[in-house]
Amino acid sequence: MMNVFEIVEAVTSGKKTAEAVVRESLEVIAQKNPSINAFVEVFTQDALSQAKAIDEKRARGEKLGPLAGVPVGIKDNLLFKGHKATCCSKMLANYTAAYNSTVVERLLAADAVIVGRTNMDEFAMGSTNETSVYGPVRNPVDLTRVPGGSSGGSAAAVAAGMVPVALGTDTGGSVRQPAGFCGVVGIKPGYGRISRYGVIAFASSADQVGVLAANVRDAADVLEVISGKDVKDATSLEAPVPAYHTLFTQDLKGVKVGLPKGFLEGLDSKIKERMELAAQALKERGAQLVEVELPYAKYSAPCYYIITSAEASSNLGRYDGIRYGYRDTQAQGLKEYYEKSRAPFGLEVKKRIIIGTYALRSDNYEACFLKAMKVRELIREDFKKVFEKVDVLLTPTSPTTAFELGHHDANPIAIYLADLYTCQGNIGGLAGISVPFGQDDKGLPVGVQFYGPILQEEKILNVAHHLEQSI
Amino acid sequence: MPITKEDVLTTGKLADMAVSEKEAAIYEQQLEALFKWVTELSSVNTDHVKLDAPGLAAHLRSDQPKPDETLAKALRDNFAATENDCVKVKKVL
Repeated sequence: MMNVFEIVEAVTSGKKTAEAVVRESLEVIAQKNPSINAFVEVFTQDALSQAKAIDEKRARGEKLGPLAGVPVGIKDNLLFKGHKATCCSKMLANYTAAYNSTVVERLLAADAVIVGRTNMDEFAMGSTNETSVYGPVRNPVDLTRVPGGSSGGSAAAVAAGMVPVALGTDTGGSVRQPAGFCGVVGIKPGYGRISRYGVIAFASSADQVGVLAANVRDAADVLEVISGKDVKDATSLEAPVPAYHTLFTQDLKGVKVGLPKGFLEGLDSKIKERMELAAQALKERGAQLVEVELPYAKYSAPCYYIITSAEASSNLGRYDGIRYGYRDTQAQGLKEYYEKSRAPFGLEVKKRIIIGTYALRSDNYEACFLKAMKVRELIREDFKKVFEKVDVLLTPTSPTTAFELGHHDANPIAIYLADLYTCQGNIGGLAGISVPFGQDDKGLPVGVQFYGPILQEEKILNVAHHLEQSI
Repeated sequence: MPITKEDVLTTGKLADMAVSEKEAAIYEQQLEALFKWVTELSSVNTDHVKLDAPGLAAHLRSDQPKPDETLAKALRDNFAATENDCVKVKKVL
Protein backbone atom coordinates (compact mmCIF):
# COMPACT_ATOMS: atom_id res chain seq x y z
CA MET A 1 0.00 0.00 0.00
CA MET A 2 1.30 3.44 -0.95
CA ASN A 3 1.82 6.15 1.68
CA VAL A 4 -0.85 8.79 2.20
CA PHE A 5 1.05 11.55 0.44
CA GLU A 6 1.89 9.24 -2.48
CA ILE A 7 -1.79 8.34 -2.91
CA VAL A 8 -2.84 11.99 -2.77
CA GLU A 9 -0.20 12.93 -5.32
CA ALA A 10 -1.17 10.03 -7.64
CA VAL A 11 -4.92 10.69 -7.46
CA THR A 12 -4.61 14.47 -7.74
CA SER A 13 -2.27 14.27 -10.73
CA GLY A 14 -4.36 11.60 -12.43
CA LYS A 15 -1.60 8.96 -12.39
CA LYS A 16 -4.00 6.66 -10.58
CA THR A 17 -7.74 6.79 -9.95
CA ALA A 18 -9.20 6.84 -6.46
CA GLU A 19 -11.23 3.80 -7.50
CA ALA A 20 -8.06 1.84 -8.29
CA VAL A 21 -6.54 2.79 -4.92
CA VAL A 22 -9.68 1.75 -3.04
CA ARG A 23 -9.99 -1.51 -4.98
CA GLU A 24 -6.40 -2.39 -3.98
CA SER A 25 -7.24 -1.71 -0.36
CA LEU A 26 -10.42 -3.83 -0.54
CA GLU A 27 -8.46 -6.68 -2.13
CA VAL A 28 -5.89 -6.72 0.69
CA ILE A 29 -8.72 -6.63 3.25
CA ALA A 30 -10.47 -9.57 1.53
CA GLN A 31 -7.23 -11.52 1.50
CA LYS A 32 -5.95 -10.81 5.03
CA ASN A 33 -8.94 -9.96 7.21
CA PRO A 34 -10.17 -13.56 7.70
CA SER A 35 -7.00 -14.39 9.66
CA ILE A 36 -6.55 -11.01 11.41
CA ASN A 37 -10.15 -9.85 12.10
CA ALA A 38 -9.19 -6.16 11.97
CA PHE A 39 -12.37 -5.04 10.18
CA VAL A 40 -15.79 -5.94 11.55
CA GLU A 41 -17.54 -4.48 8.49
CA VAL A 42 -16.27 -3.41 5.10
CA PHE A 43 -18.30 -0.77 3.25
CA THR A 44 -17.40 -2.16 -0.19
CA GLN A 45 -20.09 -0.55 -2.36
CA ASP A 46 -20.15 2.67 -0.39
CA ALA A 47 -16.34 3.01 -0.57
CA LEU A 48 -16.30 2.39 -4.32
CA SER A 49 -19.07 4.99 -4.79
CA GLN A 50 -17.08 7.50 -2.73
CA ALA A 51 -13.97 6.78 -4.82
CA LYS A 52 -15.86 7.15 -8.12
CA ALA A 53 -17.30 10.48 -6.92
CA ILE A 54 -13.74 11.71 -6.27
CA ASP A 55 -12.62 10.63 -9.74
CA GLU A 56 -15.64 12.42 -11.26
CA LYS A 57 -14.81 15.52 -9.27
CA ARG A 58 -11.31 15.49 -10.75
CA ALA A 59 -12.69 14.88 -14.24
CA ARG A 60 -14.83 18.02 -13.84
CA GLY A 61 -11.66 19.97 -13.07
CA GLU A 62 -12.58 20.60 -9.43
CA LYS A 63 -9.87 20.86 -6.79
CA LEU A 64 -9.49 17.70 -4.71
CA GLY A 65 -9.15 17.61 -0.94
CA PRO A 66 -5.88 17.01 0.98
CA LEU A 67 -6.66 13.29 1.46
CA ALA A 68 -7.95 12.61 -2.06
CA GLY A 69 -8.56 8.90 -2.55
CA VAL A 70 -6.94 7.78 0.72
CA PRO A 71 -8.65 4.64 2.12
CA VAL A 72 -9.28 4.99 5.85
CA GLY A 73 -10.56 2.57 8.47
CA ILE A 74 -12.53 3.99 11.38
CA LYS A 75 -12.86 2.49 14.83
CA ASP A 76 -16.30 1.10 15.60
CA ASN A 77 -17.06 3.88 18.12
CA LEU A 78 -16.98 6.74 15.57
CA LEU A 79 -20.30 7.71 14.03
CA PHE A 80 -20.62 7.55 10.23
CA LYS A 81 -24.16 8.43 9.16
CA GLY A 82 -26.19 5.48 7.89
CA HIS A 83 -23.61 2.92 9.04
CA LYS A 84 -23.55 0.72 12.09
CA ALA A 85 -21.51 1.86 15.10
CA THR A 86 -21.58 -0.87 17.72
CA CYS A 87 -18.55 -0.29 19.96
CA CYS A 88 -18.07 -4.02 19.33
CA SER A 89 -20.75 -4.67 21.93
CA LYS A 90 -23.94 -6.74 21.90
CA MET A 91 -25.52 -3.70 23.55
CA LEU A 92 -25.32 -1.67 20.32
CA ALA A 93 -25.60 -4.59 17.87
CA ASN A 94 -28.33 -2.86 15.86
CA TYR A 95 -27.34 0.79 16.29
CA THR A 96 -27.03 2.81 13.09
CA ALA A 97 -25.48 6.28 13.28
CA ALA A 98 -27.97 9.07 12.66
CA TYR A 99 -25.30 11.68 11.99
CA ASN A 100 -21.59 12.02 11.22
CA SER A 101 -18.96 12.53 13.88
CA THR A 102 -16.88 15.64 13.23
CA VAL A 103 -13.79 13.56 12.43
CA VAL A 104 -15.74 11.61 9.80
CA GLU A 105 -17.17 14.85 8.42
CA ARG A 106 -13.64 16.27 8.08
CA LEU A 107 -12.27 13.10 6.45
CA LEU A 108 -15.07 13.12 3.88
CA ALA A 109 -14.61 16.84 3.22
CA ALA A 110 -10.91 16.11 2.55
CA ASP A 111 -11.93 13.45 -0.03
CA ALA A 112 -10.73 10.48 2.02
CA VAL A 113 -12.61 7.21 1.47
CA ILE A 114 -13.93 5.38 4.52
CA VAL A 115 -13.65 1.67 3.72
CA GLY A 116 -14.98 0.11 6.90
CA ARG A 117 -15.22 -0.01 10.67
CA THR A 118 -12.46 -1.62 12.67
CA ASN A 119 -12.55 -4.03 15.59
CA MET A 120 -11.97 -2.80 19.15
CA ASP A 121 -12.30 -3.83 22.77
CA GLU A 122 -15.93 -3.54 23.87
CA PHE A 123 -16.68 0.15 24.56
CA ALA A 124 -12.91 0.80 24.25
CA MET A 125 -12.28 -0.92 27.58
CA GLY A 126 -9.25 -3.14 27.26
CA SER A 127 -5.63 -3.35 26.18
CA THR A 128 -5.72 -6.54 24.13
CA ASN A 129 -8.73 -6.36 21.80
CA GLU A 130 -9.98 -9.60 23.33
CA THR A 131 -13.24 -8.18 24.74
CA SER A 132 -14.85 -7.51 21.35
CA VAL A 133 -18.16 -9.23 20.64
CA TYR A 134 -16.76 -9.92 17.15
CA GLY A 135 -13.86 -11.94 18.58
CA PRO A 136 -10.23 -10.97 19.09
CA VAL A 137 -7.99 -9.25 16.57
CA ARG A 138 -4.72 -11.02 15.84
CA ASN A 139 -1.43 -9.20 15.56
CA PRO A 140 -0.28 -9.26 11.90
CA VAL A 141 3.35 -9.62 13.05
CA ASP A 142 2.53 -12.85 14.93
CA LEU A 143 -1.01 -14.23 14.72
CA THR A 144 -0.74 -15.95 18.11
CA ARG A 145 -0.38 -12.57 19.81
CA VAL A 146 -2.66 -9.68 20.66
CA PRO A 147 -2.50 -6.44 18.67
CA GLY A 148 -2.98 -4.34 21.81
CA GLY A 149 -6.09 -2.33 22.46
CA SER A 150 -8.52 -0.90 22.45
CA SER A 151 -7.92 0.32 18.87
CA GLY A 152 -6.38 -3.06 17.99
CA GLY A 153 -8.35 -3.39 14.74
CA SER A 154 -7.15 -0.02 13.46
CA ALA A 155 -3.51 -0.78 14.32
CA ALA A 156 -3.66 -4.27 12.78
CA ALA A 157 -5.35 -2.95 9.62
CA VAL A 158 -2.50 -0.49 9.06
CA ALA A 159 0.21 -3.00 10.00
CA ALA A 160 -1.22 -5.56 7.56
CA GLY A 161 -1.28 -2.99 4.73
CA MET A 162 -5.09 -3.10 4.42
CA VAL A 163 -5.29 0.71 4.69
CA PRO A 164 -2.52 3.30 4.94
CA VAL A 165 -4.23 5.00 7.84
CA ALA A 166 -6.98 4.40 10.39
CA LEU A 167 -8.61 6.34 13.18
CA GLY A 168 -8.75 5.12 16.75
CA THR A 169 -9.60 6.61 20.10
CA ASP A 170 -7.28 6.86 23.07
CA THR A 171 -8.54 7.08 26.66
CA GLY A 172 -5.55 5.46 28.40
CA GLY A 173 -3.25 4.52 25.54
CA SER A 174 -5.68 2.86 23.13
CA VAL A 175 -4.01 4.32 20.04
CA ARG A 176 -0.37 4.34 21.15
CA GLN A 177 -0.19 0.91 22.84
CA PRO A 178 -1.59 -1.05 19.83
CA ALA A 179 0.60 1.06 17.53
CA GLY A 180 3.61 -0.08 19.60
CA PHE A 181 2.51 -3.73 19.57
CA CYS A 182 1.88 -3.80 15.80
CA GLY A 183 4.87 -1.73 14.69
CA VAL A 184 3.03 1.32 13.33
CA VAL A 185 2.84 4.99 14.31
CA GLY A 186 0.05 6.09 16.65
CA ILE A 187 -0.60 9.66 17.75
CA LYS A 188 -3.01 10.97 20.37
CA PRO A 189 -3.01 14.76 20.34
CA GLY A 190 -3.50 16.80 23.48
CA TYR A 191 -6.98 16.90 24.99
CA GLY A 192 -9.18 19.31 23.04
CA ARG A 193 -7.19 19.22 19.78
CA ILE A 194 -9.76 17.03 18.03
CA SER A 195 -13.53 17.27 18.44
CA ARG A 196 -15.21 14.42 20.32
CA TYR A 197 -18.57 15.16 18.69
CA GLY A 198 -19.98 11.84 17.45
CA VAL A 199 -17.46 9.73 19.35
CA ILE A 200 -19.25 7.21 21.57
CA ALA A 201 -18.19 8.29 25.06
CA PHE A 202 -16.19 6.15 27.47
CA ALA A 203 -14.55 8.70 29.82
CA SER A 204 -15.18 12.24 28.64
CA SER A 205 -12.24 13.93 30.39
CA ALA A 206 -9.73 11.53 28.83
CA ASP A 207 -11.21 10.36 25.48
CA GLN A 208 -9.42 11.65 22.42
CA VAL A 209 -9.41 10.60 18.76
CA GLY A 210 -6.03 9.56 17.39
CA VAL A 211 -4.41 8.47 14.13
CA LEU A 212 -2.68 5.18 13.29
CA ALA A 213 -0.45 5.25 10.22
CA ALA A 214 2.46 3.49 8.59
CA ASN A 215 4.79 6.45 9.10
CA VAL A 216 5.03 9.79 10.92
CA ARG A 217 4.43 11.94 7.83
CA ASP A 218 1.13 10.15 7.09
CA ALA A 219 0.01 10.49 10.71
CA ALA A 220 0.84 14.22 10.58
CA ASP A 221 -1.11 14.80 7.36
CA VAL A 222 -4.25 13.10 8.67
CA LEU A 223 -3.97 14.76 12.08
CA GLU A 224 -3.87 18.13 10.34
CA VAL A 225 -7.16 17.40 8.54
CA ILE A 226 -9.16 16.22 11.57
CA SER A 227 -7.85 18.71 14.17
CA GLY A 228 -9.25 22.09 15.15
CA LYS A 229 -12.04 23.84 16.97
CA ASP A 230 -15.57 22.50 16.58
CA VAL A 231 -18.57 24.44 17.89
CA LYS A 232 -20.27 21.10 18.58
CA ASP A 233 -17.67 20.17 21.24
CA ALA A 234 -17.15 22.78 23.98
CA THR A 235 -13.91 21.09 25.04
CA SER A 236 -12.31 21.44 21.61
CA LEU A 237 -9.70 24.16 21.57
CA GLU A 238 -9.58 27.33 19.51
CA ALA A 239 -6.07 27.32 18.03
CA PRO A 240 -4.64 27.29 14.52
CA VAL A 241 -3.66 23.89 13.14
CA PRO A 242 -0.24 23.98 11.45
CA ALA A 243 0.78 22.02 8.36
CA TYR A 244 2.70 19.68 10.64
CA HIS A 245 5.03 18.04 8.10
CA THR A 246 6.33 21.43 6.96
CA LEU A 247 7.64 21.94 10.50
CA PHE A 248 9.93 18.90 10.40
CA THR A 249 13.45 20.25 10.96
CA GLN A 250 16.78 19.30 9.37
CA ASP A 251 18.21 18.13 12.69
CA LEU A 252 17.38 18.27 16.39
CA LYS A 253 19.80 21.00 17.41
CA GLY A 254 18.36 23.00 20.28
CA VAL A 255 15.70 20.38 21.09
CA LYS A 256 15.66 19.29 24.72
CA VAL A 257 14.49 15.72 25.29
CA GLY A 258 13.53 14.85 28.86
CA LEU A 259 14.32 11.39 30.23
CA PRO A 260 12.14 10.76 33.29
CA LYS A 261 14.22 9.43 36.18
CA GLY A 262 13.43 5.85 37.14
CA PHE A 263 11.25 5.15 34.07
CA LEU A 264 13.53 2.35 32.86
CA GLU A 265 13.72 0.54 36.19
CA GLY A 266 12.31 -2.98 36.12
CA LEU A 267 11.77 -2.80 32.37
CA ASP A 268 12.26 -5.78 30.06
CA SER A 269 15.98 -5.72 29.15
CA LYS A 270 15.40 -5.61 25.39
CA ILE A 271 12.97 -2.68 25.67
CA LYS A 272 15.43 -0.91 27.97
CA GLU A 273 18.17 -1.45 25.39
CA ARG A 274 15.96 -0.02 22.61
CA MET A 275 15.15 3.00 24.77
CA GLU A 276 18.83 3.68 25.36
CA LEU A 277 19.52 3.35 21.63
CA ALA A 278 16.63 5.74 20.87
CA ALA A 279 18.06 8.34 23.24
CA GLN A 280 21.46 7.92 21.61
CA ALA A 281 19.99 8.31 18.11
CA LEU A 282 18.30 11.56 19.13
CA LYS A 283 21.55 12.82 20.63
CA GLU A 284 23.40 12.06 17.40
CA ARG A 285 20.87 14.25 15.58
CA GLY A 286 21.66 17.16 17.86
CA ALA A 287 19.13 16.79 20.70
CA GLN A 288 20.15 17.55 24.25
CA LEU A 289 19.18 14.82 26.74
CA VAL A 290 18.03 16.07 30.13
CA GLU A 291 17.11 13.91 33.11
CA VAL A 292 13.85 15.08 34.68
CA GLU A 293 11.76 14.10 37.69
CA LEU A 294 8.05 13.34 37.67
CA PRO A 295 7.40 12.41 41.30
CA TYR A 296 3.63 11.90 40.94
CA ALA A 297 3.53 10.17 37.53
CA LYS A 298 3.75 6.74 39.21
CA TYR A 299 0.22 7.29 40.52
CA SER A 300 -1.24 7.76 37.04
CA ALA A 301 -2.50 4.19 36.59
CA PRO A 302 -4.63 3.95 39.79
CA CYS A 303 -5.89 7.51 39.17
CA TYR A 304 -6.75 6.57 35.62
CA TYR A 305 -8.76 3.48 36.62
CA ILE A 306 -10.78 5.33 39.23
CA ILE A 307 -11.53 8.47 37.18
CA THR A 308 -12.27 6.78 33.86
CA SER A 309 -14.40 4.07 35.48
CA ALA A 310 -16.39 6.72 37.36
CA GLU A 311 -16.98 8.64 34.14
CA ALA A 312 -17.85 5.40 32.33
CA SER A 313 -20.42 4.46 34.96
CA SER A 314 -22.13 7.77 34.24
CA ASN A 315 -21.69 7.78 30.43
CA LEU A 316 -22.89 4.20 30.05
CA GLY A 317 -26.02 4.96 32.06
CA ARG A 318 -27.65 5.90 28.74
CA TYR A 319 -27.75 2.23 27.70
CA ASP A 320 -30.96 1.48 29.53
CA GLY A 321 -33.19 0.22 26.74
CA ILE A 322 -35.01 3.52 26.60
CA ARG A 323 -32.50 6.06 25.39
CA TYR A 324 -30.03 3.68 23.74
CA GLY A 325 -29.14 0.03 23.49
CA TYR A 326 -30.80 -3.35 23.74
CA ARG A 327 -34.44 -3.27 24.83
CA ASP A 328 -35.81 -6.22 26.80
CA THR A 329 -39.42 -7.15 26.08
CA GLN A 330 -40.08 -9.76 28.79
CA ALA A 331 -39.37 -7.82 32.00
CA GLN A 332 -42.02 -7.35 34.68
CA GLY A 333 -41.64 -3.92 36.23
CA LEU A 334 -39.25 -1.01 35.74
CA LYS A 335 -36.30 -2.27 37.85
CA GLU A 336 -36.29 -5.63 36.10
CA TYR A 337 -36.64 -3.84 32.76
CA TYR A 338 -33.47 -1.82 33.36
CA GLU A 339 -31.53 -4.81 34.65
CA LYS A 340 -32.49 -7.05 31.74
CA SER A 341 -31.90 -4.31 29.17
CA ARG A 342 -28.39 -3.73 30.56
CA ALA A 343 -27.56 -7.44 30.66
CA PRO A 344 -25.78 -7.53 27.24
CA PHE A 345 -22.75 -5.64 28.59
CA GLY A 346 -19.66 -7.88 28.62
CA LEU A 347 -17.71 -8.83 31.76
CA GLU A 348 -15.05 -6.09 31.45
CA VAL A 349 -17.58 -3.32 30.81
CA LYS A 350 -19.71 -4.43 33.75
CA LYS A 351 -16.62 -4.51 35.91
CA ARG A 352 -15.64 -0.94 34.99
CA ILE A 353 -19.20 0.27 35.67
CA ILE A 354 -19.07 -1.43 39.08
CA ILE A 355 -15.64 0.08 39.85
CA GLY A 356 -16.93 3.53 38.87
CA THR A 357 -20.20 3.26 40.75
CA TYR A 358 -18.34 1.94 43.81
CA ALA A 359 -15.85 4.85 43.66
CA LEU A 360 -18.73 7.34 43.42
CA ARG A 361 -20.77 5.86 46.30
CA SER A 362 -21.20 8.43 49.07
CA ASP A 363 -19.16 6.28 51.49
CA ASN A 364 -16.21 6.03 49.06
CA TYR A 365 -16.45 9.28 47.08
CA GLU A 366 -13.92 11.27 49.09
CA ALA A 367 -11.33 8.52 49.56
CA CYS A 368 -11.59 7.24 46.00
CA PHE A 369 -12.91 9.60 43.35
CA LEU A 370 -12.06 12.95 44.94
CA LYS A 371 -8.63 11.69 45.99
CA ALA A 372 -7.88 10.49 42.46
CA MET A 373 -9.00 13.84 41.04
CA LYS A 374 -6.68 15.70 43.39
CA VAL A 375 -3.72 13.45 42.61
CA ARG A 376 -4.50 14.03 38.93
CA GLU A 377 -3.95 17.75 39.48
CA LEU A 378 -0.54 17.00 41.03
CA ILE A 379 0.37 14.84 38.04
CA ARG A 380 -0.66 17.64 35.67
CA GLU A 381 1.42 20.09 37.66
CA ASP A 382 4.39 17.69 37.35
CA PHE A 383 4.16 17.73 33.56
CA LYS A 384 3.59 21.49 33.41
CA LYS A 385 6.81 22.10 35.35
CA VAL A 386 8.80 19.61 33.27
CA PHE A 387 7.72 21.21 29.99
CA GLU A 388 9.16 24.50 31.21
CA LYS A 389 12.56 22.75 31.06
CA VAL A 390 12.31 20.39 28.07
CA ASP A 391 10.49 20.25 24.72
CA VAL A 392 9.46 16.60 24.77
CA LEU A 393 9.69 13.56 27.03
CA LEU A 394 10.95 10.15 25.94
CA THR A 395 9.39 7.03 27.51
CA PRO A 396 8.66 3.45 26.48
CA THR A 397 5.18 2.99 24.96
CA SER A 398 4.59 -0.21 26.94
CA PRO A 399 6.50 -2.23 29.53
CA THR A 400 6.41 -5.29 27.23
CA THR A 401 6.02 -6.22 23.58
CA ALA A 402 2.84 -7.96 22.34
CA PHE A 403 1.87 -10.90 24.51
CA GLU A 404 0.04 -14.10 23.59
CA LEU A 405 -3.74 -14.16 23.30
CA GLY A 406 -5.28 -15.03 26.69
CA HIS A 407 -1.98 -14.56 28.46
CA HIS A 408 -3.25 -12.19 31.16
CA ASP A 409 -6.76 -13.58 31.68
CA ALA A 410 -6.21 -14.44 35.34
CA ASN A 411 -4.51 -11.23 36.35
CA PRO A 412 -6.39 -8.02 35.51
CA ILE A 413 -3.92 -5.77 37.37
CA ALA A 414 -1.13 -7.00 35.08
CA ILE A 415 -3.27 -5.97 32.10
CA TYR A 416 -3.96 -2.58 33.67
CA LEU A 417 -0.22 -2.05 34.17
CA ALA A 418 0.24 -2.44 30.41
CA ASP A 419 -1.14 1.14 30.25
CA LEU A 420 1.40 2.41 32.76
CA TYR A 421 3.31 4.69 30.39
CA THR A 422 0.40 5.68 28.17
CA CYS A 423 -2.33 6.59 30.66
CA GLN A 424 -0.12 9.41 31.99
CA GLY A 425 -0.80 11.24 28.75
CA ASN A 426 -4.57 11.06 29.24
CA ILE A 427 -4.43 11.94 32.91
CA GLY A 428 -2.22 14.93 32.02
CA GLY A 429 -4.11 15.83 28.80
CA LEU A 430 -0.79 15.66 26.91
CA ALA A 431 0.05 15.00 23.29
CA GLY A 432 1.67 11.58 22.83
CA ILE A 433 3.02 9.55 19.95
CA SER A 434 4.31 5.99 19.65
CA VAL A 435 6.82 5.29 16.93
CA PRO A 436 8.25 1.84 16.12
CA PHE A 437 11.94 1.47 16.92
CA GLY A 438 13.24 -2.01 16.18
CA GLN A 439 12.25 -5.39 17.57
CA ASP A 440 12.81 -7.59 20.60
CA ASP A 441 14.48 -11.03 20.51
CA LYS A 442 11.28 -12.63 19.18
CA GLY A 443 11.05 -10.17 16.30
CA LEU A 444 8.15 -8.28 17.91
CA PRO A 445 7.97 -4.51 17.42
CA VAL A 446 9.14 -2.19 20.20
CA GLY A 447 7.38 1.17 20.48
CA VAL A 448 9.01 4.35 21.74
CA GLN A 449 6.81 7.14 23.03
CA PHE A 450 7.21 10.92 23.07
CA TYR A 451 5.10 13.30 25.12
CA GLY A 452 4.68 16.98 24.41
CA PRO A 453 2.62 19.84 25.79
CA ILE A 454 -0.94 20.46 24.71
CA LEU A 455 -1.30 22.22 21.31
CA GLN A 456 2.35 21.49 20.46
CA GLU A 457 1.92 18.24 18.55
CA GLU A 458 4.50 19.45 16.00
CA LYS A 459 7.24 18.90 18.60
CA ILE A 460 6.51 15.21 19.12
CA LEU A 461 5.90 14.64 15.42
CA ASN A 462 9.29 16.17 14.63
CA VAL A 463 11.31 14.06 17.09
CA ALA A 464 9.35 10.94 16.09
CA HIS A 465 10.12 11.69 12.44
CA HIS A 466 13.84 11.95 13.26
CA LEU A 467 13.81 8.70 15.22
CA GLU A 468 12.02 6.99 12.33
CA GLN A 469 14.69 8.26 9.92
CA SER A 470 17.49 7.01 12.16
CA ILE A 471 16.59 3.33 11.78
CA MET B 1 -10.42 -0.81 51.31
CA PRO B 2 -11.87 -4.34 51.69
CA ILE B 3 -14.60 -5.20 49.22
CA THR B 4 -17.06 -8.03 49.71
CA LYS B 5 -19.31 -10.01 47.40
CA GLU B 6 -22.22 -8.17 49.01
CA ASP B 7 -20.61 -4.83 48.04
CA VAL B 8 -20.39 -6.01 44.45
CA LEU B 9 -24.03 -7.10 44.37
CA THR B 10 -25.23 -3.86 45.98
CA THR B 11 -23.12 -1.72 43.63
CA GLY B 12 -24.50 -3.67 40.68
CA LYS B 13 -28.03 -2.78 41.84
CA LEU B 14 -27.04 0.90 42.15
CA ALA B 15 -25.90 0.74 38.51
CA ASP B 16 -29.17 -0.97 37.46
CA MET B 17 -27.23 -4.07 36.40
CA ALA B 18 -27.99 -7.63 37.31
CA VAL B 19 -24.81 -9.27 38.58
CA SER B 20 -24.96 -13.05 38.95
CA GLU B 21 -23.46 -14.85 41.96
CA LYS B 22 -20.79 -16.28 39.66
CA GLU B 23 -19.89 -12.84 38.28
CA ALA B 24 -19.89 -11.36 41.80
CA ALA B 25 -17.37 -13.97 42.93
CA ILE B 26 -15.03 -13.08 40.03
CA TYR B 27 -15.44 -9.34 40.54
CA GLU B 28 -14.95 -9.56 44.31
CA GLN B 29 -11.49 -11.03 43.85
CA GLN B 30 -10.47 -8.64 41.07
CA LEU B 31 -11.89 -5.53 42.73
CA GLU B 32 -10.21 -6.42 46.02
CA ALA B 33 -6.85 -6.39 44.21
CA LEU B 34 -7.71 -3.21 42.31
CA PHE B 35 -8.82 -1.20 45.33
CA LYS B 36 -5.80 -2.42 47.30
CA TRP B 37 -3.70 -0.92 44.50
CA VAL B 38 -5.76 2.29 44.59
CA THR B 39 -5.02 2.76 48.30
CA GLU B 40 -1.51 3.83 47.17
CA LEU B 41 -3.16 7.19 46.49
CA SER B 42 -3.94 7.68 50.17
CA SER B 43 -0.23 8.17 50.87
CA VAL B 44 -0.18 11.30 48.66
CA ASN B 45 -0.64 14.59 50.48
CA THR B 46 -3.36 16.48 48.62
CA ASP B 47 -4.38 18.88 51.40
CA HIS B 48 -3.29 21.89 49.34
CA VAL B 49 -4.94 20.78 46.08
CA LYS B 50 -8.02 22.69 44.98
CA LEU B 51 -10.27 21.43 42.24
CA ASP B 52 -11.78 24.20 40.17
CA ALA B 53 -13.91 22.07 37.94
CA PRO B 54 -14.02 18.40 38.85
CA GLY B 55 -14.03 16.25 35.77
CA LEU B 56 -12.59 18.83 33.41
CA ALA B 57 -9.72 21.19 34.08
CA ALA B 58 -10.92 24.78 33.89
CA HIS B 59 -8.03 25.89 31.69
CA LEU B 60 -9.09 23.51 28.97
CA ARG B 61 -12.61 24.83 28.68
CA SER B 62 -13.92 27.85 26.93
CA ASP B 63 -17.20 28.74 28.56
CA GLN B 64 -17.95 31.69 26.30
CA PRO B 65 -19.75 30.15 23.37
CA LYS B 66 -19.71 32.04 20.12
CA PRO B 67 -23.08 32.08 18.36
CA ASP B 68 -23.13 29.68 15.44
CA GLU B 69 -24.69 31.80 12.68
CA THR B 70 -25.08 28.87 10.31
CA LEU B 71 -27.09 26.94 12.87
CA ALA B 72 -29.16 30.00 13.79
CA LYS B 73 -29.95 30.64 10.14
CA ALA B 74 -30.87 26.98 9.57
CA LEU B 75 -33.25 27.16 12.54
CA ARG B 76 -34.84 30.39 11.32
CA ASP B 77 -35.20 29.00 7.80
CA ASN B 78 -37.17 26.07 9.12
CA PHE B 79 -39.87 28.24 10.62
CA ALA B 80 -42.75 29.54 8.52
CA ALA B 81 -42.57 33.03 9.99
CA THR B 82 -39.87 35.15 11.62
CA GLU B 83 -39.78 38.67 12.95
CA ASN B 84 -36.81 40.73 14.18
CA ASP B 85 -34.52 37.68 14.14
CA CYS B 86 -37.03 35.73 16.27
CA VAL B 87 -39.22 32.85 15.18
CA LYS B 88 -42.99 33.25 15.39
CA VAL B 89 -44.96 30.46 17.04
CA LYS B 90 -48.64 30.01 17.81
CA LYS B 91 -49.97 31.87 20.80
CA VAL B 92 -50.48 29.47 23.72
CA LEU B 93 -52.01 31.79 26.31
